[in-house]
Amino acid sequence: MPAVTQIVRLTVNGDLREVGVPMHFTLLEALRYGLGLTGSKQGCDKGDCGACTVILDGRPTLSCITPVFEAEGHAIVTVEGLADVEGPHPLQDAFDLHGAAQCGFCTPGILCSAAVLLEKTTSPSRTEIKEALSGNLCRCTGYSKIYDAVASAGQRLQVEAQLGESGR
Amino acid sequence: MPELLGKDFTPPDIRGKVTGAAKYAEDFRMDGLLYCRLLTSPMPHARVLNIDLSKALGMEGVVDILTADEVPEQPGAATNILTNEPHFVGEPILAVAAVDETIAQNAIEAIKLDFEPLPFCVDPLESLRPGGPNAYLEGNAVVPRQGVQEFKWTAEDFEAAGEGELPMGEPTAEWSYGDLEAGFSEAVFTLDETFVTASNSHHSMEPRTALAYWENGKCHVRGSTQSQSFVVPGLANYIGIEPENVVYVAEYCGGGFGSKGSAYPTMAIPAHMSRKTGRPVLMRISRAEEYFLGSARPGFQGRIKMGFREDGRISAVDLYIVQESGSNGGGGDMGAAASSVSIVYTPLAMRYRGISVLTNTPPRGAQRGPGQNQIAMAVEPLLDKAARQLGIDLVAIRRINAPTNDSRYGANRQPVTSAHLRDALDIGAEQFAWQERRARSGQRDGSKIRAVAVGQAFHSAGSSGYDGLVRITPDGILHIHSGVGNLGTYSYASTSRVAAEVLKYDWDNCEIARGDSSLGLPWNLGQFGSNTSFTMTRTNYAAAMDTLSKLKEIAAMEFGGSAEDYDISGESVFNRSNPSRRMSYARAAQRAIELGGAYSGHTVPDDINPMTARAVAGLVDTGLIGVARDNMGQRGMVPALAVGFIEIELDVETGKVEILDYLGVADCGTVNHPQGLATQIKGGAVMGFGMACTERLIYDNVWGLPGSVGFYQAKPPSYLDVPSEMGWAAVNIADPQNPVGSKGIGEPVMGCSAAALLCAISEALGGHYFNRTPVVIDMIVNAHSGQPQSHTPLQVNTQ
Amino acid sequence: MMKDMIPGFELIQPTSIEGALNLLEEYGENGWALAGGMDSLGWFKNRGKRPEAVIDLEGLDALKGIDETADGIEIGALTTLTEIELNPLIRERFWLLAEAASKVASPQIRNAGTLGGNLCQDTRCWYYRYGVSCYRAGGNTCYAAAPEALNREHAIFGASRCVAVSPSDTATALVALDAEMVVRNSSGERVIKAENFFMEPAVDIMRMTVLDPEDLLIKVRIPNTWTGADFYFEKVSDRGSWDFPLVSVALAIKSTGDRIDDARIVCGAVQCIPRRLRNVEAMIRGQGRDEDTAAQAGAMAIQGAKVLNYNHFKIPLMENLVKRAVRG
Repeated sequence: MPAVTQIVRLTVNGDLREVGVPMHFTLLEALRYGLGLTGSKQGCDKGDCGACTVILDGRPTLSCITPVFEAEGHAIVTVEGLADVEGPHPLQDAFDLHGAAQCGFCTPGILCSAAVLLEKTTSPSRTEIKEALSGNLCRCTGYSKIYDAVASAGQRLQVEAQLGESGR
Repeated sequence: MPELLGKDFTPPDIRGKVTGAAKYAEDFRMDGLLYCRLLTSPMPHARVLNIDLSKALGMEGVVDILTADEVPEQPGAATNILTNEPHFVGEPILAVAAVDETIAQNAIEAIKLDFEPLPFCVDPLESLRPGGPNAYLEGNAVVPRQGVQEFKWTAEDFEAAGEGELPMGEPTAEWSYGDLEAGFSEAVFTLDETFVTASNSHHSMEPRTALAYWENGKCHVRGSTQSQSFVVPGLANYIGIEPENVVYVAEYCGGGFGSKGSAYPTMAIPAHMSRKTGRPVLMRISRAEEYFLGSARPGFQGRIKMGFREDGRISAVDLYIVQESGSNGGGGDMGAAASSVSIVYTPLAMRYRGISVLTNTPPRGAQRGPGQNQIAMAVEPLLDKAARQLGIDLVAIRRINAPTNDSRYGANRQPVTSAHLRDALDIGAEQFAWQERRARSGQRDGSKIRAVAVGQAFHSAGSSGYDGLVRITPDGILHIHSGVGNLGTYSYASTSRVAAEVLKYDWDNCEIARGDSSLGLPWNLGQFGSNTSFTMTRTNYAAAMDTLSKLKEIAAMEFGGSAEDYDISGESVFNRSNPSRRMSYARAAQRAIELGGAYSGHTVPDDINPMTARAVAGLVDTGLIGVARDNMGQRGMVPALAVGFIEIELDVETGKVEILDYLGVADCGTVNHPQGLATQIKGGAVMGFGMACTERLIYDNVWGLPGSVGFYQAKPPSYLDVPSEMGWAAVNIADPQNPVGSKGIGEPVMGCSAAALLCAISEALGGHYFNRTPVVIDMIVNAHSGQPQSHTPLQVNTQ
Repeated sequence: MMKDMIPGFELIQPTSIEGALNLLEEYGENGWALAGGMDSLGWFKNRGKRPEAVIDLEGLDALKGIDETADGIEIGALTTLTEIELNPLIRERFWLLAEAASKVASPQIRNAGTLGGNLCQDTRCWYYRYGVSCYRAGGNTCYAAAPEALNREHAIFGASRCVAVSPSDTATALVALDAEMVVRNSSGERVIKAENFFMEPAVDIMRMTVLDPEDLLIKVRIPNTWTGADFYFEKVSDRGSWDFPLVSVALAIKSTGDRIDDARIVCGAVQCIPRRLRNVEAMIRGQGRDEDTAAQAGAMAIQGAKVLNYNHFKIPLMENLVKRAVRG
């Protein structure tokens, strides 16, 4: 019979949302089936590929193997929440410019991992980018353009910080 | 000088990918949506004797169950949509629809199935032995138009082969050219090598999910395919309806690499289930299921004899391939491999023989460079072996055998449109500082050995005869209707720019209609086989030229004179001798609607495909319609050629290989979209590294069970396995048979990197040849420590 | 067969250790202690493990964190691998553990994955994970030891009916550091040497550790014994990210000048438990830390290894890794 659902309260992209889910649901299932946030992808179901990566309390997190009730009370950011009122996240513009998304299925997860990296440093080395994104598989790009895009987004954040134009 | 071609641009669909707004098949939601799950075979070959659905159907939330008896049966060894005689572990037997996925899966557990296990086989050579097991009750090989038949070699065939050599019994495919005997007698060095190239999965990031619903007699399907229009006839056939009754949406595809080029059986299950239940149905395929029933590249057990003259020129090749074709007969890989040898090395004489054998493993199909990339991995290291023997430089031996514009291809000695492999080698050698780096190849630092090598690959990359369709609406916008599909390479967009270029359009005033057959999409070839750049530039050129003629005719009607008196600029058409007689495209579009006939789509050329005619019929009177079949003609095969230069460091104590640097060089005609090309070269390189060294597709021989059903077991390369920076270059010489000089390139850029890496590993190990791919860590460790390998020379499914 | 679909369970989120222990006792074999979930969720989705109740430890803050004690440090079992990797105290005194933690799977796995989870995770034998009815799963055969089985990743030491290996990266480091495991159940607490924490199939073929269903690993203590020692850690795997060791080595070594005073050396993925090389430790004590000693250590390490069909490469690989570790 259909599993009994419980209300879970999730803070997603700054909004407090309530949704009824079965207790065994993963955070990814709650986002995709409960809240209609389909940007985070189900690439492997087992935490192997990183396409489901969201930012949980500032850490890249595999939503496909995170029980949804563990996410209650924590701040969740998905790809849909990377942009803010001032516009797209610099990473999003940089991925556009560098053609760093090909088929695009891994891209939401990569953006979330990269956004956390740029919170820590806006001038990451190639090695730092490599380490930070090493939990995100991509089959199309050969990764190379992703490095370029992340580095250039970091440079833009640096410039913005220097100009004091952005409150990011 | 072109305004748009050869320049980078931001493809229109990338924004959706970086914001999460892009909808892939699994992202659609509808009222009343049902979720479908599959009951799949636990056995490699079995017959379903009895199915008891009673308990499952009684479960709350379960809506319906679809069985094999309710879907059209497929001919020969083609994979069935659902089956009562599964031929591989994971083959779908029935489907359950429920209000959520958990319930559907729980219901599957409540279904009682009685199976009769049947004999099975996971090794083609075993199947060819006298009395060996067959994958099908009817036999072990597919004969075109005759179905599955039994092929066995004789005991003498097996005895005739030396230790570790491929036996060569009667083939099912064979061709030759030139005087083979004379070729070998001319040779000063001849090698005769047996090799194995293992199967590998595609590892597309998006599993093959599909959603379907019915409305007004039409079946609407949201699928995950590389191609758009090309999918529709096959899908209609799986559903059992006419193509005009399919509305197909494939706006985004999360990777396919050949495995989603055409319609595939499982994508029809939601359609059948929706027809049965009257509700929309989503069937998400899990990663494990993708490994079970998704596709894989056919493996080869092969043998090649090559004769070399003193100058390194290949005088003769004798190639035999046994192709592992999985449960469905696979694809044409073995023949493509042979043809590839004929063009990459242009041997003076050549014979090819092959036999394709069914096994009880996943269905096989095209994977990036089908056949060509396997044979590149097998043959390129052998070329190095010969070069060492003959004292010839590794680039030089490739150069002397490389094709030119006069070379011939394959069994039929077809001409080629253009071939500049030599230029690619020269450009690469120059940019990679080949001589300088070669001087340090083989140097040892502690346990690490440096190696520098080169690899090549090929694919036939272009087709013709498809339809182009563009439209100018009265608001002045150019709509380029593309039915090719969206694999993620953005070639749908870069080839659409040809129409804008011809009509001298500002790109900002152009829109691409794509991704949804209800938008009116022409009949185009699928987005596979590296063909898009060649094929679609031609169709879009043809449609744009038709539009250009119509614009001039309309202007001539308005202002007098003949169409030849008119030219275009600034999105308007004007009289050359009196430029004040000028009509904007917007006004011309309005005039086209008023004129009717061919101008606004009331009539269409006789030679266009019915699908294109239906697309135009839906666009009648919306503007000026340009529609034409690509009748430019094509003489010969379009070769895409690529070369990879590599430098590695191999740690002999751990077997680990670090790729220090890589440069890929493409012969793809005129470069149309530099950014897209760079990503093809580098992305292809990384796929090639994976295929050559890390990816695994293993099967237990005794139980027929697959051992690589998750990414961590199948091991596609991660960020940490490949260099963060790689170089690229292009020959950039126009192909004479393409109006903008384009040729495709997607596939050989994978094969050349795989070949280069394997050559470098052999170089690092002092000329040790594994004659097997992938070369995994254990093989390197065994080779360096002088131990025998775990596998026997012809064993398959072990790594 | 893998299905990637959790059948459903009751999720209970205790707020105290005592509450968790009571639940574990109450549910016994039908309960499942959930830490980071990085391995557990995979089991649930495959329906290979079907607990009635999942006892979610996430809320137990008392099990998180790294503390300095009088004679070493204590690491809560729920401390994430990322915290361990980055902790200054661990990096300074027990770099070996930080390094081992940094080699686990991927950044996301390390962000949520815990030390306790990494130590207690189940073996990755592909037959067992596939869901066959083998000894470890309660059946009566070992598929991986069969004459034609594909067992490249499997054991070269200590096989007993089952040939699976320990996949944990942190386990080898903690055995080398002579750590202790603090284990509690509702009737009390016991302290177990890391070396004795892992279970050999000869003793209990269905468990990877000594933990009973009602037991909870509370924390890991690392004594200062090896503070200031030299360390060596190396993991050889097919991929740099998200992979398990084919063979790994963890070494703690103290020397005076060129002379080795004492050492602990442990290999991973060669046996069902982290394999401590006591004979090698004894042999190198008092020797110079040089190429000769390293070569002898490597040769001794592999004595008694017994290979299966596809894993004889592990012998030279293990020999080489031990050699590299001792060589430094």
